[in-house]
Amino acid sequence: MKKIKNRIRRLRFDNNEMTQEELANLAGCTRQTIIALEQGKYLPSIELAFRIARAFGVSLEEVFQYEESG
Amino acid sequence: MSISQKGAVAQLLIFSGVLAGWLALFITNGTVFFWLDDGMKMAFYLIAGTGFALLVLMNAMISFFGRGNKPVSDERDKTIWRKASLWATGASYSVVVALLLVLSITYMEQDSTVVSVYFPLFIVLVGGVTLVLTQSIAALIYYNRQVHHEEN
Repeated sequence: MKKIKNRIRRLRFDNNEMTQEELANLAGCTRQTIIALEQGKYLPSIELAFRIARAFGVSLEEVFQYEESG
Repeated sequence: MSISQKGAVAQLLIFSGVLAGWLALFITNGTVFFWLDDGMKMAFYLIAGTGFALLVLMNAMISFFGRGNKPVSDERDKTIWRKASLWATGASYSVVVALLLVLSITYMEQDSTVVSVYFPLFIVLVGGVTLVLTQSIAALIYYNRQVHHEEN
């Protein structure tokens, strides 16, 4: 089973407790999409994934991890 | 709840109202053969027309007022509405085909080759209402489920 996980919630906390709204504004999406991403309910496009990583100033792999198990 | 999701709820409410209005018409008339009565026919078209007018008005208001300089919808909303539209198109097409089949069989059994001119409009309206109703229901289901961007 393949799964893509993300560390958005953790990274927000590490970035002066950035709010979901602030991240949404930086990434150019709605707050509801950030909520869905944190809940693992949405798998974003490559473009949005890069914009989120850029908002935190980190690489894509530091935000999204691809896991393959069982 | 995003504006786009609220739009789906409003769309569902408006067209549930249209469906309820039609149902009330059929119950009042006691038959689905409403096209035999001019008053009933006009009421049927008026109910559907009001529903579509409200839908256009709602979408225009969202476009004009939106959320200031913030996006009203993003790629997730667009993905969800695209998926919902696929379900809606399938459902609407099925309903239109089923109604055309019923119409054909009914007229063939009556040995009639003349079809009422009001049938096509009736079928188009029922197909349209099925489309927007299914679209709103599917969109609301997708908003609560895991969704993958279509390119992934």
